[in-house]
Amino acid sequence: MSKKKANADLAPSRKEKKGIGQYILGFFLLLYTLFCALPVVLVIIAAFTDEAAINANGFSFFPEKWSLAGMNSVLRYGKQLLVSYGVTIFITVAGTALGLLVMSMFAYAISRPEFRLAKFLSVFLLIPMLFNGGQLSGYIVFTSYYGLKDSLWLLILPLCVSTMNVIILRTYIVNSIPSELMEAAKIDGAGEYRTFFQITLPLLKPSLAAVGFMMATAYWNDWQNALLYITSNEKKPLQLLLVNIQKSIEFLLNNSNVPASARAAMGGNIPQYSSTMATVLIVIGPIMVVYPFFQKYFVKGLTVGSVKG
Amino acid sequence: MKAFLQNTWKHRAHVIMALPVFLILFFIMYVPMAGLVMAFKNFDYSKGIWGSDWNGLENFKFLITSKSIFLNMTKNTLMYYFIFTAVGTFLNVVLAIAIDQFVFKRVAKTMQTLMIIPVFISYAAVQFIVYAFISTDTGILNNALGMDIRFYSEAALWPYILTIVKIWNSVGYGSVLYMSVLAGIDTELYEAAEIDGANKWQQIWHITLPALIPMITVMLLLSVGSVMRSDTGLFYQVTRNSGTLYSTTQVIDSYVLNAIFKNSNFGFVAATSLFQSVIGLLMMLFANGMVRKIAPENSLF
Repeated sequence: MSKKKANADLAPSRKEKKGIGQYILGFFLLLYTLFCALPVVLVIIAAFTDEAAINANGFSFFPEKWSLAGMNSVLRYGKQLLVSYGVTIFITVAGTALGLLVMSMFAYAISRPEFRLAKFLSVFLLIPMLFNGGQLSGYIVFTSYYGLKDSLWLLILPLCVSTMNVIILRTYIVNSIPSELMEAAKIDGAGEYRTFFQITLPLLKPSLAAVGFMMATAYWNDWQNALLYITSNEKKPLQLLLVNIQKSIEFLLNNSNVPASARAAMGGNIPQYSSTMATVLIVIGPIMVVYPFFQKYFVKGLTVGSVKG
Repeated sequence: MKAFLQNTWKHRAHVIMALPVFLILFFIMYVPMAGLVMAFKNFDYSKGIWGSDWNGLENFKFLITSKSIFLNMTKNTLMYYFIFTAVGTFLNVVLAIAIDQFVFKRVAKTMQTLMIIPVFISYAAVQFIVYAFISTDTGILNNALGMDIRFYSEAALWPYILTIVKIWNSVGYGSVLYMSVLAGIDTELYEAAEIDGANKWQQIWHITLPALIPMITVMLLLSVGSVMRSDTGLFYQVTRNSGTLYSTTQVIDSYVLNAIFKNSNFGFVAATSLFQSVIGLLMMLFANGMVRKIAPENSLF
């Protein structure tokens, strides 16, 4: 692997002719970009499409009639939506912060030369990547032994530490932070903790940004732990709200014998196409907005991560 | 031994710093590993994992008797692993090279930003987007083609649908890694090749591709260990967990998830989980051993 200074950005422009070949290449790249982006565009359009138009003509990139009804009806979830937003933001921020702190401490510790226990700790770190207890065993242990059913801890802890992320951080410490700095600090009388928090941690920032953003995305998008463990409304994250919408649609579809009057009575709760898409938009929106600012960091972070320590 | 203890005492600050991760890994990863013993037990909720009675290989016998379910989900798990790995790696590399070759760098950068977006959308959300495209009455595809394909009951179509969704989701992101390698190639190599009269394709074949081989090896190696695991959301959410589609969409992970919700067949599931973990471990050791022989600098441990 290239040990050259990993330039996270695109390759430097070579002197090249902008010939016809470049335009053909550009055309194909544009096609693929559209393939990636159009589904997202559809979410935005559908969120603002009139419900009757979707029912009559199906989803469309060029709706016959626009409407704010979908967005408005999202407000129908009102308090629940706010609560869920709060839960998701809380677990994302708390989980990412906790994970970054404990993982960088661990990475720092095992990268100390002359620390004999480091060898054992590295093996201890590596084993979970090779062998895994699986979902069922985890579920039973977490719920009946730790008694954490319906606890936010189960949204935070399982995604908090990952072997790969510790390796990324350790690699960065070993390769990019001169050990002389740490030694100098020690000679100047700084203790171990002070050296770590005042010298190492600030220098670790690029790697923390990269790992942190990937972790935050994982927390924001986690539906599985929520579906497995969370039961009470005040702890439901956004993704679980989406899953619940789908379940209620399914319920209505699978129970065609629900009488029309009952359906009408449930009127307020029947999820409609446009309002569903509006919810999707509200759930995925923040990541879309934040991500371009972090792009350069996580490209860098990925690069670092691929280098074996 | 005494020296070791002295060393540890001297480094007690480091021990304390390593402690939180040690504890989290222990309670979140290691204890469930021990829980796999329930594959050899007749699990009873009231007695717990460790208190339940041993029943030897009973669960594995059951695994053989209900082999159609077991074989089907194992087959699907492996099938998707191979399709996704082969198609994914190929497209990652192609896309990385394509963007790298494109001279309009600003445009390329913008395109890349858009290509990466799908990876940040959870499958819980993705399934609504997929639905908008392929539902029978309101789907864009059926409307555009003027047809009435019932995608959600045609199991045979789902390997294609899931592959397309997976590509959409992950290729833009996956190529970033390869691009960072390409950015590290010395431009003088290309200039020298051009002077020697090599055309674009020859340059790609002899300079670009060889530079990518180590990264491809590492990525494949990392993925081998998860051969029995799947992107659960893709199979559970995007298919709407529809029973009609199980013959082509049920993978081990989604089966286990369903079993937990239905609170049933824990013995069978535990046996399957153990099988899944052991195969994963063996594959990982095997792959790492291979790489260590061929290119030791790329091995994982």
